[in-house]
Amino acid sequence: MSFTWKEALTEIERRRAAARELGGQRRVDRAHEQGRYTIRERIDRAATQFYEVGEFTAYDDVDATGTLRGRLPASYVCGLGEFAGRPVAIGGEDFTVRGGAPQTYLDRMKGGLGGFVEDLAHEYRIPLVMFMEGIGGDVAAQAEKGHSYLVSSLSWERSYELLSEVPVLAMVSGAAAGGTAGRTVLSHFSVMTKDSVMFAGGPPLVKRAMGLDVDKYELGGAKIHTGISGAIDNLAEDEDDAIRQMRTVLGYLPQNVWELPPRGDRSDPVDRRVEELLDLIPENRRRPYRASKMVEAIVDRGSFFEIGPKWGRSVCTGFARMDGIPVGVVASNPSHLGGALDAAAAEKQVRFVDMCSTFHLPIVYFVDVPGFMVGPNAERGNVVRWGMRAIQSLIQAEVPVVTVQVRKAYGMAVSATSRPDGLSLRIAWPTAEWGDLPVEGGVEAGFKREIEAAEDPEEYRRLAEERMLALADPWKTVEAFGVENMIDPRDTREIVCAFLNASLTRLRTTLGPQRRQWSVRP
Amino acid sequence: MTIIESDISAVVWKVLVRVGDTVEAGDPVVVLESMKMEIPVESEEPGTVTVVHVSEGEVVDEGASLVTLG
Repeated sequence: MSFTWKEALTEIERRRAAARELGGQRRVDRAHEQGRYTIRERIDRAATQFYEVGEFTAYDDVDATGTLRGRLPASYVCGLGEFAGRPVAIGGEDFTVRGGAPQTYLDRMKGGLGGFVEDLAHEYRIPLVMFMEGIGGDVAAQAEKGHSYLVSSLSWERSYELLSEVPVLAMVSGAAAGGTAGRTVLSHFSVMTKDSVMFAGGPPLVKRAMGLDVDKYELGGAKIHTGISGAIDNLAEDEDDAIRQMRTVLGYLPQNVWELPPRGDRSDPVDRRVEELLDLIPENRRRPYRASKMVEAIVDRGSFFEIGPKWGRSVCTGFARMDGIPVGVVASNPSHLGGALDAAAAEKQVRFVDMCSTFHLPIVYFVDVPGFMVGPNAERGNVVRWGMRAIQSLIQAEVPVVTVQVRKAYGMAVSATSRPDGLSLRIAWPTAEWGDLPVEGGVEAGFKREIEAAEDPEEYRRLAEERMLALADPWKTVEAFGVENMIDPRDTREIVCAFLNASLTRLRTTLGPQRRQWSVRP
Repeated sequence: MTIIESDISAVVWKVLVRVGDTVEAGDPVVVLESMKMEIPVESEEPGTVTVVHVSEGEVVDEGASLVTLG
């Protein structure tokens, strides 16, 4: 048979059509019935351009007894895409093919755990966008190899390395178990549709290992991971919403750590006075306010995108722009736990500050923290270690930090809101108060013996509290330059924008990977 | 049925709803006092109050049921 162009080109088309069939119509229909897109539909929706790589990869599909059923496309689709107007490495498991199991049958992995798509992101220094839906490993893999293998023979190094190089974004729709779940959390931003699940091991495995009958949503539903565990940052209504959220997040980030994040729209006037703050922050200091509302009022109109809004809620974290400059905002949230920093909030802050420092986003921190969270649950949750890690997050951050003292600033938790070894620019509002301990309670704890020994303990406590309250007057600290300035809250936007604009020079001249790579100490 | 729980150990400062009341998503149902703050607990979804589990002045633990919506 001699070569003809016609036959050669027809062969490409024939193979292309076979690849488009994925794991077969029955399985594709099932995904659609569950309200999900297939991996090819996901990429079509997300990417405005897509140049597939490994389009014709395939393997022999055999049943449990080893009988050949036919040839199927490989369970991963990937390539070079255009996403949010930028080139990205994009890919995801094909759940219709063997539950999206790793492509152990190929000479080279396409993605899912290292593989071509991750090498592409690494080599070209472009973001990685991943669609996660898979069961992790499967026993069929050892049938292909002819022997079982130690999982430690597979390397995760590339996946970790990418976290200090390029933005990594992950969406979970459907089920992400085992290795797929693991790969998901190695990302800067993850989002999960509300009807999806993620776990180290699913209900059958739990039943087998522990004899426990558990519903898959109770085990690892979206509410669990975006509301309690914090393994996933954000919840999405559906896949289109999830894709939209990833696109939004990428808009605040640079292509890689060697570049600055792109400056956005600058139409919101820098000198816009934020009058509504006087209504948002109650005069009664026992009344909380919603941190996100306060942030939204100050940053560029409509630019605040909250990350992790449903867990670790005593801090509110998110991206915003100020005079178009992408910034990371951290704000104590008195509506939850009175704003006290618990282990979950501290963990959320650590991850968020790391991301801002990695991608050169200055941090604006709004402080209203009564201290580390106290109580039996907080101690069991290891609030002390996580709290100290939150402090470490700012010590290690290599970006400018502007701190706004909104209200309370008590105890060790305050160390997690500014960096005494850096510029430590702290701007106070007249509502601000601070100290080692709030005067109420603090006097009781500090002068317990004296109070008990007094002739009239109540009167003695009252006098002591009065004296301490007078000393706690924030103006005394302002006069002593123990805080960098006191301002009218309505001028916050203008002042912070001025400092952020000035800090751009610094950011521009310190691009590249962080000198202090994030450690997992202590 | 949805049970609105306390996410903090606290004293119940105010109960804002009664059995039969309808609430919208975001409506406060109870105000707790903890960490020297009055912390409103809001309903995440709309519904009708079928049970109020607590009364003012009561001490509740983290995870305690406050209000049940039908």
